[in-house]
Amino acid sequence: MPMANKDLGRCFRMDDYVIEMLHITKEFPGIIANDDITLQLKRGEIHALLGENGAGKSTLMSVLFGLYTPEKGIIKKDGKEVHIKNPNDATELGIGMVHQHFMLVDIFSVLDNIILGAEPSKFGFLTKADAIKKVLDLSNKYNLKVDPDALIEDITVGMQQRVEILKMLYRDNNILIFDEPTAVLTPQEIDELMKIMKNLAAEGKSILFITHKLNEIMEVADRCTILRRGKYIGTVDVATSSKEELSSMMVGRDVKFAVDKAPAKPGKEVLKVENVCVKSKIHQNDSVHNVSFNVREGEIVCIAGIDGNGQTEFIGALTGLDDISSGKVSFCGEDITHKSIRYKNTHGMSHVPEDRHKHGLVLDYSLEENMILQRYFEPEFSNHGFIKKKTMREYSDRLTKAFDVRSGEGATTIVRSMSGGNQQKAIIAREMDREHKLLVAVQPTRGLDVGAIEYIHEEIVKQRDAGCAILLVSLELDEVMNLSDRILVMYEGEIVGEVDPKTTTLQELGLYMSGAKRDNRKEA
Amino acid sequence: MDKKNTAFLKRPGVQTILASVLCAVLGIIMGYIILLFMNPEHATEGMVAILKNFFKFSGKPQQLMYYLGSTLVKSVPVILCAEAILFAYKAGLFNIGAAGQYTIGILVSLYTSLALGWNWFFCVLAAVLAGALWGALCGFFKAFCNVNEVIAGIMLNWIGLYLCNIILSNETCMNTTKSETYDIAAKNPSGVLPGFLQGVFGNNQYMSIAVPITILVAIIILVVLNMTTFGYELKATGHNKEAAKYAGMNAKRNIILTLAISGAISGLAASLYYLTSIEHFKIASSVPGMGFSGIAVAFLGGLHPIGTIVAGLFVEYITLGGQYLNTNYFNPQVADLMIAIIIYLCGFVLFFKSILNKPRKKSLDANKNNKVASGVTAKKEV
Amino acid sequence: MVLLIQYTLIFSAVLILVALGGMFSERSGIINLGLEGIMVFGAMAGGMVMVLLPDTVSKATIVILTLIAAACAGMISSLLIGIACIYFKADQTLIGTAVNMLATAAATVIVKAFNTNRSNGTDFSAKLDYVRGHDAFMFSIGSLQLSWFVVVAAVLLVIAIVLFYKTKFALRLRACGEHPQAADSVGINVYAMRYAGVLMSGFLAGLGGIIYIAAANSTWHFDYGVAGAGFLALAVMIFGQWKPERIAWSAILFAVFRSLSNVYMGIGFLHALPISGTVYNMFPYIVSLIVLAFTSSNSRAPKAEGIPYDKGSR
Repeated sequence: MPMANKDLGRCFRMDDYVIEMLHITKEFPGIIANDDITLQLKRGEIHALLGENGAGKSTLMSVLFGLYTPEKGIIKKDGKEVHIKNPNDATELGIGMVHQHFMLVDIFSVLDNIILGAEPSKFGFLTKADAIKKVLDLSNKYNLKVDPDALIEDITVGMQQRVEILKMLYRDNNILIFDEPTAVLTPQEIDELMKIMKNLAAEGKSILFITHKLNEIMEVADRCTILRRGKYIGTVDVATSSKEELSSMMVGRDVKFAVDKAPAKPGKEVLKVENVCVKSKIHQNDSVHNVSFNVREGEIVCIAGIDGNGQTEFIGALTGLDDISSGKVSFCGEDITHKSIRYKNTHGMSHVPEDRHKHGLVLDYSLEENMILQRYFEPEFSNHGFIKKKTMREYSDRLTKAFDVRSGEGATTIVRSMSGGNQQKAIIAREMDREHKLLVAVQPTRGLDVGAIEYIHEEIVKQRDAGCAILLVSLELDEVMNLSDRILVMYEGEIVGEVDPKTTTLQELGLYMSGAKRDNRKEA
Repeated sequence: MDKKNTAFLKRPGVQTILASVLCAVLGIIMGYIILLFMNPEHATEGMVAILKNFFKFSGKPQQLMYYLGSTLVKSVPVILCAEAILFAYKAGLFNIGAAGQYTIGILVSLYTSLALGWNWFFCVLAAVLAGALWGALCGFFKAFCNVNEVIAGIMLNWIGLYLCNIILSNETCMNTTKSETYDIAAKNPSGVLPGFLQGVFGNNQYMSIAVPITILVAIIILVVLNMTTFGYELKATGHNKEAAKYAGMNAKRNIILTLAISGAISGLAASLYYLTSIEHFKIASSVPGMGFSGIAVAFLGGLHPIGTIVAGLFVEYITLGGQYLNTNYFNPQVADLMIAIIIYLCGFVLFFKSILNKPRKKSLDANKNNKVASGVTAKKEV
Repeated sequence: MVLLIQYTLIFSAVLILVALGGMFSERSGIINLGLEGIMVFGAMAGGMVMVLLPDTVSKATIVILTLIAAACAGMISSLLIGIACIYFKADQTLIGTAVNMLATAAATVIVKAFNTNRSNGTDFSAKLDYVRGHDAFMFSIGSLQLSWFVVVAAVLLVIAIVLFYKTKFALRLRACGEHPQAADSVGINVYAMRYAGVLMSGFLAGLGGIIYIAAANSTWHFDYGVAGAGFLALAVMIFGQWKPERIAWSAILFAVFRSLSNVYMGIGFLHALPISGTVYNMFPYIVSLIVLAFTSSNSRAPKAEGIPYDKGSR
């Protein structure tokens, strides 16, 4: 509802800028992250900062927050030039930030996290009584419900975000930066956040809202500044703009929102999961509970859900990184519940892991060495325990060519020095080239730019059409809706619903994802 | 812009050598400063004595070669311990337990030789196996109980030392009046390692096959690490344990195997040294320093099997140099102190390399960013 | 039995202090493997002060000056770790090991030079005698001979517990060891907090060092270092789950085993057993290895320990 902001009846004087960032340039070796960028924030407005990954949004906000010093450009607060050298300076100017990755200490209580760095104390001893009162007052005023004594590791992501917001309010910040705040939230939680943001703005706080989601901008933002590849593209009034205009400014071309694909032609059952449970490493309960489903040849089955609802644990157990505590997994009719990773690797299961740096690659190995990560011992690549370097080189060259993996020095490039997109392509190449009947792809497009995403989506569809079974795990609802043939929703470790992407809506998915709705599924 | 020059300085191999040389030189300079503090008058004389070392015999080739031979033989254990540590380090394990594995190697090689009268070959073999066992034990605690290998290694070092003291203090092994073990050459001639080019080295009776074996071990390690699937697995595990697991490598098996091999090399080090009979074991109240010096040598050698040989010779050269100090003014432990300083300086190698790597226009800030540039780019995409 | 209690108290004091030192350092994010070396430096400084003080000074002066010297030496030597690991981002395991080697070698050289100077070249040993200093620390309650060292340790333990749970400083310190980026984002100087943690470990380990050599002995050979006490303290710290009160309990447990090797002769049934004294020496190490084997899999070390903090890499 783009008209919503009118309801709040806010109006702005033309030149009442609370923060101005003028001609900011910030370089890192090899890249110019911000190139002559200007951003002006009016008092009491919600100002969106839009751009793709790598457009320089986070760098710009880090400059404002005192984490980086820009090479050129000045920052003005209330019309006066200020120098922000560290987060303390920013805090003194009333600038607060909710970071994309929450800056919360897991083993501390909510209260300790809120007061950290601004602790009320007498002679160095903490005096928490006043703090609790202030926090509770704030949480009532802005409807941010939290339990001050709960540990961060025990509360939901949505609640953690409320803690982050309270952290800013506790410090009486007036300029609030939200760095991609909705990435980890359910649609319902997002709605609530939008309300909170509007509340805050109505109370006179000025908000900078970093995002790449157009719907959210249309809903809450007053104005929007767009960055592309480190450059300033323009600032527009949201009320007089459209999604299409914003998106073409963001990417510099028209974006394809849908993936072209023919209807699926499912064949034989490849993967069958029955009542799988996985014990949690943190708490007493199961992190994955009684999960059952199947995946057939030539279809893409997607597990949707909010981050942290057991997807990682389930995939870990399925691929062998973690143990299955009960249940059964069959693969092409064979029981592989307790088979080793190596067995699964060599018997037709490919796995594009969630975290390419943690699992997918040995960053200090060369590209060619990474290409044979699961196959180095096979006769093709080894001879009496010695690696066949020539074969390895040829194999790597063939894959990099076929999948268009770009690297500085070809097969001998150290993977650490490659861009994230090319690293991901290398993994995709490796996993797709291995002989496989099932491809498990976890967030295969995470952190990539639009071009790379389209490419990977096409490859996945190609695999499906070639008869491969695909199990996709994704947090991006667009990806879920566009790519999959069947959607399973995971909530708190259980599959709570199965929907057809052609007939469902985002709202329905959201209800499943937030646990508000669940099917009484018959066991598959 | 001197492009060639920058490129040369940016080659990792060149940087490693430069860094090591810098550490060694700084260590020597600081050693000199310490000598100055102790006795300003004779400091230069002392430093010259350490550095000149056995070359003071350069007039007499026979003696010169003899002492060169002794230096080589005495370098054997520290080089092998360093190889052991390096091997484990490549797999991401800090085998501080090498000292204990070395101690167990002493225990077994001397016991089998003196008490059981075995042939040298079987003594060496026994020591290798015992070292491997001790290393595997450490690996077991690491793999199955999640005990940090450094802590487990230290505990096993002390347990090994006391075991060694208990068993070797037996009268069949030890001259209890002198509280040191018997001479192998006298008690069990078949237990002495066969000689090697003794004629060339001024008839040095200690010159043995230990020297060529050491070089052979270094080459084997080089080959295993760089050309085999086993080396591929170990290094992958060392760089990224999680990715190794993802690739289907057996982490637990590799931890135990790596530490067992590392222990075997340490055990070999002890046997190749003590079975030359060049030194006798004395009841000790602290763990032999060989395993710790090995850490210094491994790092000084740039964690390269061949570099380690060079570094080992250098470290032993300095240590033995301490004995040429005039004890009226100085004590020989100054040389140990210099070695300790050098290993401390090795911790700064990373910093040193980042200086070499920083782009031409340099603020300290830029330098800092340089190192994390990859992190920054990566993060942006996330 | 009285003897066993005495020794247990002394070793507990040592282990508690040094383990608390390790705890503060690790809570700030720096793994301090150099505790052993810091103890040696502290012991050396304290020992030298005891030797140097003239006979005329009062017991109280000896006690105070010795403790100050040990603590200062500990803090200065801990900077060897702090500067290398915080400013230069060096490998913490390597630096810790280097400091241990450095300490033993330096202490040997320094004490030998010290003795040579004092004796005009007749005494080359690396040994310090400080009978008077040792006596100055003793007092008795009934038949139980106690040392001021134990009192000092007890006081510091109480202070550490209060500090750890009740102060602003500790809250910030712990944040730096768990999530330094979060600490930095609210304006806490992570580097400063880590220096503070390392310096505290130097202070406590330096004191631990002097207690180790002076509470039960009146002479010490510095070529032996402190015989792994620093590493035992690390085991105590892990067993104590990086929490001061639990560290205290586990230190006492370890101390009992450590004391057995000193006093088994005096305990009839132990002495009668056909076991060599050396076996008792092995005891604490074997026990700690076993204890660690059973406790390590669930232990929760500070999350960011061992990782150099780099402002840029957030």
